[in-house]
Amino acid sequence: MRNIEEYRGLFTVASLILILIAAAPTLALFIRVPEGSEKFSELWLLGPERKAENYPFNVSVGESYSIYVGVGNHLGRSAYYIVYVKFRNETQQVPNFTMSEPSPLPPLYEFSFVVSDGDVWEVPLTFAFENVLFQQNFSLVQDISINGVVFPVNCSSAWNSDRNGFYYQMFFELWLYNMTSMRVHYHNRFVGLWLNMTGS
Amino acid sequence: MTRKLAMSKLLIASLIFSASMFPLLAFKVSASSEDVAASAISEAEGAMEWAYEAVLEAEQAGADVSGLLAKLNEAGEYLAAAQMSFRLKDFNETVRFADLSKAVGEVAEMEAYVLTDWASSEGEQRIWFTALGSAIGIMLVVSGSFWLWIFLKKRVQ
Repeated sequence: MRNIEEYRGLFTVASLILILIAAAPTLALFIRVPEGSEKFSELWLLGPERKAENYPFNVSVGESYSIYVGVGNHLGRSAYYIVYVKFRNETQQVPNFTMSEPSPLPPLYEFSFVVSDGDVWEVPLTFAFENVLFQQNFSLVQDISINGVVFPVNCSSAWNSDRNGFYYQMFFELWLYNMTSMRVHYHNRFVGLWLNMTGS
Repeated sequence: MTRKLAMSKLLIASLIFSASMFPLLAFKVSASSEDVAASAISEAEGAMEWAYEAVLEAEQAGADVSGLLAKLNEAGEYLAAAQMSFRLKDFNETVRFADLSKAVGEVAEMEAYVLTDWASSEGEQRIWFTALGSAIGIMLVVSGSFWLWIFLKKRVQ
């Protein structure tokens, strides 16, 4: 018969494991495990059926077009975002990704909202063109209606002979509130929608 | 007759003077309403930022902030509407939306502070209960192991 003392070590280890299990809930309150996942935000556009297809492209005056704009938060906390809707022709500046600078163009429409961590925000956006002038090699968009609000833009575009059209871009910039500077900063993300302005 | 003529000349002169001053006065009134609108926006932005920071604090304290996030989004919608009205030079609407945003933001901020306090005291209580549970568990394991060891030892001998 084996002596019970031979099992002393095994018994002690088993007891220590049980002690650790009993202490685990309290230890979990104080020990912070560093989060390994990357922190980032997403910005996207979807077509009228809320899918990544059938985006408006050939547009004309008086017609109404729908898209969806969405933001996903993976920053590990609730985040305060602003999405600016801007409009430009082919020669005007888009945001500078390398310099992390927004486009200098003034915003038209804007969304201001807070998204909790791991959650998404998605809203429909309807736009229409009002008062567009065509003159030989130029077109001039005077007004755009976005979600029922009419904005004067007076943006002209020259005829693009390579792509056969008058091209404009509606683009969306993502801005984020920074708690340290207590200001909203450009979050270096933007998405755009190319539009070919056709006659009415 | 001369007096009457002088009076009518004076009247005409004062009318011309008033007419020439009108654009200046109109500009001043417009500029002042623009200033009021800009200041209303600035206050609404401040209220939104304070509310957001208060909600974040409540969230970090472990409170359920879903209701507060809905309020913040309502304040954000009004703030965006105020900004767009300002760009379109509709200063009355700017002030109206900015005031709405500020009011909702301030309510959210107040509620966030209450939730933070509640969550902090609840969190403290949870820590105490957990620590007590662990302590009882450890004592049970230690004494249980000790008595089991004694029992087994006696049985084998």
